[in-house]
Amino acid sequence: MKIDSARLAAALVLCAACTSAIAKPIAFAEGTTVMAEYGAGTMTELQAFYAPTFRYSVGGGHLSLNSAENDDTRDITYLRLNYLPKRWNMESAQANVFVWGGVGRAHVGETDDDQLAWNAGGQLDYETRRVYASLRSDYYDASGFSHRIDTLQLGIAPYEHDYDTLAVWFVIQGRQYSNGLFDGTEWAALIRLFKHNAWVEAGATREGKLQAMLMFNF
Amino acid sequence: MRVSHVLLALALLAPGVHAATIEMTVNGLVCGFCAQGIEKTLRKNPATADVLVSLENRLVAIATKEGTDIADADLRKALTNAGYDVKAIERTQHSMDELRARFKVSK
Repeated sequence: MKIDSARLAAALVLCAACTSAIAKPIAFAEGTTVMAEYGAGTMTELQAFYAPTFRYSVGGGHLSLNSAENDDTRDITYLRLNYLPKRWNMESAQANVFVWGGVGRAHVGETDDDQLAWNAGGQLDYETRRVYASLRSDYYDASGFSHRIDTLQLGIAPYEHDYDTLAVWFVIQGRQYSNGLFDGTEWAALIRLFKHNAWVEAGATREGKLQAMLMFNF
Repeated sequence: MRVSHVLLALALLAPGVHAATIEMTVNGLVCGFCAQGIEKTLRKNPATADVLVSLENRLVAIATKEGTDIADADLRKALTNAGYDVKAIERTQHSMDELRARFKVSK
């Protein structure tokens, strides 16, 4: 494992700065979600959303992209609207379709200039109390760059958690970045824990880099 | 005779003034992290004394305060607005402690 103390410290600072993180962009009506993700050095993201209803949420975030292939960096600060157009509530399962879009400013490192940037994305997920799958795609565009980030997660729980018990999930994540951020698919093995309003997910990529996410609902 | 009439009247009134439990069967209850909105929404109702959620039993139970009730339409609206589907609503005499013991749910 190549996780060095500096990266671990950075992740802990990230944790301290953010009370929690969420895998769904809308938690529940009149709920606030705060999320932080450290993606193996290639991406770092902070988000905060408020949901007036369970159908949509509004908020903002900051995304830092650091190419694993060259010195390109993008720092994108954005406002975003998330919308849940479809939810299936089944007897022992739930599935969702989320879409989102937003606008903000991006600082492009290699040219040292700021540009207007917009973003759009979507997520399809399905979960029972034993299995979980989600496919998410994010697209960022500005005059000087465009990137797509596709993330697939497959999870399995060793036992069925309940409302008042700790949930444990083992998750495999595959992520692809377009346009020079990372060559190939970045695979990671994660353990996800959540109870009450706190969610922690951490693991390592195949290259031995830290992948972590924190989330908090209130 | 008058005393017995008063007792009879009190007995007849009793079900209406005692705290009751409402048990709802809910679809989509698979994630404790996501189901917090249900408890948060229901606890805002002034008639709510206590809320219990059991993912295992697809159950959301509410204890109402003495002499109060929550209409079925309001319950369905609250759960729908939280993002879930109510399949059945039943009023029972089970106490929340009984339900917690039966479903092994802590407070």
